Amino acid sequence: MCPVLGHLDGRFESADAEAEHRIAVLYQEFGGPLLRHVRKSTGNDLQWAEDVVQETIVRAWRNSARLQWEPSLIWAWLLTVARRIVIDGRRRKSVRPQEVEPPEVDMMSVPDGSERALSAMVVADALRSLSQEHREVIEQTYLRDRTISEAAEILGIPPGTVKSRLYYGIRALREQLRDKGVAG
Amino acid sequence: MHDGVAAYVLGVLDEEEHEAFERHLDACERCQAELIELAELPEQLDELRNAPSSTSGDDPPMSMSR
Repeated sequence: MCPVLGHLDGRFESADAEAEHRIAVLYQEFGGPLLRHVRKSTGNDLQWAEDVVQETIVRAWRNSARLQWEPSLIWAWLLTVARRIVIDGRRRKSVRPQEVEPPEVDMMSVPDGSERALSAMVVADALRSLSQEHREVIEQTYLRDRTISEAAEILGIPPGTVKSRLYYGIRALREQLRDKGVAG
Repeated sequence: MHDGVAAYVLGVLDEEEHEAFERHLDACERCQAELIELAELPEQLDELRNAPSSTSGDDPPMSMSR
């Protein structure tokens, strides 16, 4: 990816022109891959995904210090920024009554035949193989669009405990997925 | 502070903590390395969210099968 973004000083007549150029470079470097990733979390809603990418790029532009990082870290950070924007959007939408509660892992059955179903099954398996404590915090936070504090209240444990279990749970999940050959 | 990286990457910190963690991240190489490792994991969890929960959704509504 880009070695750029750091050395543009002096080439532009105005700050506006420079800003415009930087945003264009960001789009060029990250826009396409980011859109492909974001679409997965917007349930393929392209319009929503494009809005998320646009907002992500603008936030990145405002955080120019972070754009000096190495590309893999910039990318990880951009994905996280985008995810946060998606989650905020989802939470706003769910202020309206939610039609369907996300399924419990044990209840899930997935149709055969598609790659998507297969990877869902692999992830469900990996999640099931975690300890109850670890699985529970992942289900009660991310999979239900709840913050650490909200989940802590529901589970009746301190937020610090949720955060720490989430950390070890996510590490364990990653190990599981790596063993199954689906994580880098 | 370091264990916040999982909550951060999943986007489940509240606003204040999220910002605090980003400030920590700017200075912490260990968390930067873990962020890189974990960045695409939430997408894999999204597979669960997007997967149909059962085949019953394919059944026609009752009203149509009178």
